[in-house]
Amino acid sequence: MISCKAITKSYTKGANTVTPLENLSLKVPRGEFLALMGPSGSGKTTLLNLISGIDTPTSGSLEIDGEDIARFSRKQLTSWRARKVGYIFQLYHLIPVLTAFENVELPLLITSLSRAERRKKAEEALDLVGLSGRSDHTPGELSGGQEQRVAIARALVADPALLVADEPTGDLDRESATHILGLLRSLSREHGKTIVMVTHDARAAAAADRALHLEKGKLLTTDPNLTVA
Amino acid sequence: MLPLTYALRNLFRDKSRLAQTVGGSALVVLLVMAATALNSGMAEVLSASGSPRNAILIGAGSEESIQRSEVSAQLGGIAEVGIPGVSTILGTPAVSTEIHYMSFLETAGGGKGQGLFRGVTPKALLVHPEVRIMEGTFPRAGEVMVGKLAWRKLGLPQEALRPGKTVKLDGSEMTVSGVFAAPGTVMESEIWTVLGDLYMLAQRDTVSCVVLRMETSDDFSEVDLFSQQRLDLELAALRETDYYAALSSFYKPLRVMTWITAGLVAAGAVFGGFNTLYAAFASRIRELATLQAIGFGRVAVFFSLVQESVIACLGGTLLASAAAMVLLDGRTIPFSIGAFTVTISPQVAVTGLVTGVLLGIFGSIPPAIRCLRPSLPRALRS
Ligand SMILES: Nc1ncnc2c1ncn2[C@@H]1O[C@H](COP(=O)(O)OP(=O)(O)O)[C@@H](O)[C@H]1O
Ligand SMILES: [Mg+2]
Repeated sequence: MISCKAITKSYTKGANTVTPLENLSLKVPRGEFLALMGPSGSGKTTLLNLISGIDTPTSGSLEIDGEDIARFSRKQLTSWRARKVGYIFQLYHLIPVLTAFENVELPLLITSLSRAERRKKAEEALDLVGLSGRSDHTPGELSGGQEQRVAIARALVADPALLVADEPTGDLDRESATHILGLLRSLSREHGKTIVMVTHDARAAAAADRALHLEKGKLLTTDPNLTVA
Repeated sequence: MLPLTYALRNLFRDKSRLAQTVGGSALVVLLVMAATALNSGMAEVLSASGSPRNAILIGAGSEESIQRSEVSAQLGGIAEVGIPGVSTILGTPAVSTEIHYMSFLETAGGGKGQGLFRGVTPKALLVHPEVRIMEGTFPRAGEVMVGKLAWRKLGLPQEALRPGKTVKLDGSEMTVSGVFAAPGTVMESEIWTVLGDLYMLAQRDTVSCVVLRMETSDDFSEVDLFSQQRLDLELAALRETDYYAALSSFYKPLRVMTWITAGLVAAGAVFGGFNTLYAAFASRIRELATLQAIGFGRVAVFFSLVQESVIACLGGTLLASAAAMVLLDGRTIPFSIGAFTVTISPQVAVTGLVTGVLLGIFGSIPPAIRCLRPSLPRALRS
């Protein structure tokens, strides 16, 4: 599903260059739930942004589902994201002026689905995260855990093959975090989603099939057989 | 494309910002509507005041101002027989000998205002067919007939100029004999007296001009020819329409001033709007990036921001239109030689609407571009 070969990402700020990722290679098979761990500033978010087409690598190839997205134009990337990726952020990033239902419906507005089809899909997604009773609530009226569940519903409503999550439980209490991790796990197991999740938390990483450690822009181990208990 | 509800609800996120945008755009739109209505009102009254069939014989060198012109009191008679093509009504040639005289009128109540007096004979009605006596009669010696809007031009109470009231013209008491209408022309703010009275009051033995109503507008050439052949009379021939067009261009600097004022206020408002909208958009840079991460194009997000601003400015336009209807529509505005009525016409309304939409579009483009410029990863971090 994901195949990164020797990707490097560097930013030039005036005279000095920062290289958050250097010569990194990584393969993620379809349907895997992968946890990315590592200290702050190790390049986790940068890697996630590359995998999800939010940013483009400075060099290297980045094949996802058979397409080399490193070569995509900005416009191509935008529509690729709409079809292929769902995002889950640490701080949910819900649109505060829209209701839970409207937030979830948002990605479907880019598709050619009819109003009735959009309604059906959005309701199904909300149902899947257990929030069908809250569709008319705005994000301000929901708890953090509920907001993140709405965000997950929004990420999966357009049925993308890939879900990326950047510290999805980082801002939640333990009970909510457990709920969210359970949801992600079932999305991977029962719905076949490929999930890449960045986390600080070993407990969260334990929910994944495999955990990889990043340090200063490099993977500490690429051994696919190493799993975290 | 982002839903309209998104733009609409974003407006109400910050009520004080919304009030600033709506209020600022309302002010600009109101000013532009006022400038348009005032300028077109003045231009219209001046252009409607001249008839294409009327020619004016005036003293050479005084083409700019009839009040300053002096021609022989006999000119009317000479022109009547010497110029072919003059229109006749029931056998009477339509030739009006007139004195135009700027002076003060005093009312019994002590009010005083400056206006244009026109000394005429009953033949004036043949030359100016738009004049209709609404009340009372045409003036005889010692009487004046006032235009319907004269009170407004003079700045006097309407009551003081009713038929039967006594007024003072340069110290002489006169009686108001009637009120006339001459819709849409400057004559409607004039005071008419009999020619003989004005000789005395203005202390002159010459007249200002002779106005001739021709059979067709082409017959003006006959009047022109006459003025060129009778060098002894030292005349100039003018089309009445050209006379008022020249007057209208005399007011051009005034019109330009109103536009400059409206333009400056608009520029100030647009720059103020930049700041307000920039603050509004910048407070949700991360949200704008999230929308793009989900798969909305940058253009779609940009369009939604512009839409938001246009909606606010349309609110302002609505407010301004209501204010214009209440404050401006139907108001009579005096100016040096007359008065005109302000009308919030469909053209004025459309001008206001276009101003509002343009304000919304151009006020939001720079802040929208600025807030959409940061790269997605950076914006998502903020
Ligand atoms: N847009 C950018 N410009 C410059 N430096 C950046 C940018 N994005 C990330 N970095 C740098 O790259 C490094 C890795 O950042 P990040 O991927 O966010 O780390 P993590 O998510 O593991 O905490 C950091 O040192 C950060 O300062
Ligand atoms: Mg990070």
